[in-house]
Amino acid sequence: METFGGAFKLMLFVYAVAAVIALLTAWIIKLIFFFIQKRNGRAAARQSAKHGPHATAAKAHAKSTS
Amino acid sequence: MPGIDLLHVFQGIGTMIASDPLIAFARIALIALGIGLLYLGVRGTLEPLIMIPMGLGMASVNGAVLYLSAKEMGTIFVDPIASGPEKLLDVLQIDFLQPIYTFTFSNGLIACLVFMGIGAISDIGYMLIAPIRCMIIAIMAELGTLLTFPIAVAMGLNYKEAASIAMVGGADGPMVLYTSLILARDLFVPITIVAYLYLSLTYAGYPYLVRLLIPKHLRGIKMDVKAAPNVTAGEKITFAVIICTLLCLLFPVAAPLFLSFFLGVVVRESGIKQYVEFLSGTVLYGSTLFLGLLLGVLFEAGTILNPKVLLLLVLGMIALLLSGIGGIIGGYIVYWMSGRSFNPVIGIAGVSCVPTTAKVAQKEVHAANKFAMILPWAMGACVSGVITSAIIAGVYISVLQNTH
Repeated sequence: METFGGAFKLMLFVYAVAAVIALLTAWIIKLIFFFIQKRNGRAAARQSAKHGPHATAAKAHAKSTS
Repeated sequence: MPGIDLLHVFQGIGTMIASDPLIAFARIALIALGIGLLYLGVRGTLEPLIMIPMGLGMASVNGAVLYLSAKEMGTIFVDPIASGPEKLLDVLQIDFLQPIYTFTFSNGLIACLVFMGIGAISDIGYMLIAPIRCMIIAIMAELGTLLTFPIAVAMGLNYKEAASIAMVGGADGPMVLYTSLILARDLFVPITIVAYLYLSLTYAGYPYLVRLLIPKHLRGIKMDVKAAPNVTAGEKITFAVIICTLLCLLFPVAAPLFLSFFLGVVVRESGIKQYVEFLSGTVLYGSTLFLGLLLGVLFEAGTILNPKVLLLLVLGMIALLLSGIGGIIGGYIVYWMSGRSFNPVIGIAGVSCVPTTAKVAQKEVHAANKFAMILPWAMGACVSGVITSAIIAGVYISVLQNTH
């Protein structure tokens, strides 16, 4: 039997599931970003330890202007 | 010279005179409506990409009724109810649009093709700038998609029909088509037409809603575009692959939509120029043209005489209105969360009519403060809206598909 009450309960269920999945998606994006930025930071630190901070800055400048 | 019956020579008129007066009147009304939609499309009042082929198709199909046999009237455009291999094979050789309907429409392929094109024109980088805020807005902008469901049931529709018309609140044409094809095949033509008709009106109607619900000083809030982090193509592809796989795993019934959208996104970010041009040009516009044309020719007199059509018109309007209000509430929530630095107009872009609602948001903000730029955030909310609409379509289909 398809009633308003049943439809309302189903709506709440659909909204809850959709909200959880959507927010989960958003958190996954945040996590991906966090790891990528951490990796980039580590790579930049390694680079600067190898060539000195000036070389890294010059390289970053060359990359941004190319 | 044999005796000539003029009504048999001009069969469009002959069938109109021979048929039920109600059908004849409905045909005339639909011819007029088709011409009206075409005119409004050409003028740019309604979305021309859909309205021009749909209007012309509607006017033509309602004029071109002929005698298929001594007793049977019909057209040689398309037969949507042809089933069984033998009948289908016959129809495929007679009705000129039947191959497109059978092989791209009834299986939802055309919706997926449009989605590939939308993916190829969507920059998800905007969404990656502020994912949580974008998702909060997008979830709130689904208010119409959810509240319309019990309202439609209260108005007499069954669960499957109610879920299909509620999807109009997601403001995503292909999604409405895909859901209604699976859940309410008998009503998918009027539901999809209602959806596209109202989606065309969002550009004209939503600005008033924004002005009504957001005072001018809030509409003019400036956002710092320079503060947005730079997102690389590799990061976008990583995101697309992970989210596509996760959503397919959770909702296999909506997997064709997820795959199509994220395929477009990945193709765009991978920079294969030929593929990007193909998807965002030929595929997107080709599918939209045939989508509009087929919707038009499917809108025959019999469709409008269905008493549920009036109900669908009302419910479609309610769904889009509630979604617009929900989106603006979402905009306010993020405005308070951010310490009043976020422009609440961005909320309207959570209604995922890519890129129309984002353009509406930017236009309204620009009118209030010509130095304010919010388009990147609005596009982020818009793309998040596409994803949440697909999630809700997936939940509705998964829950209701096998119910009676």
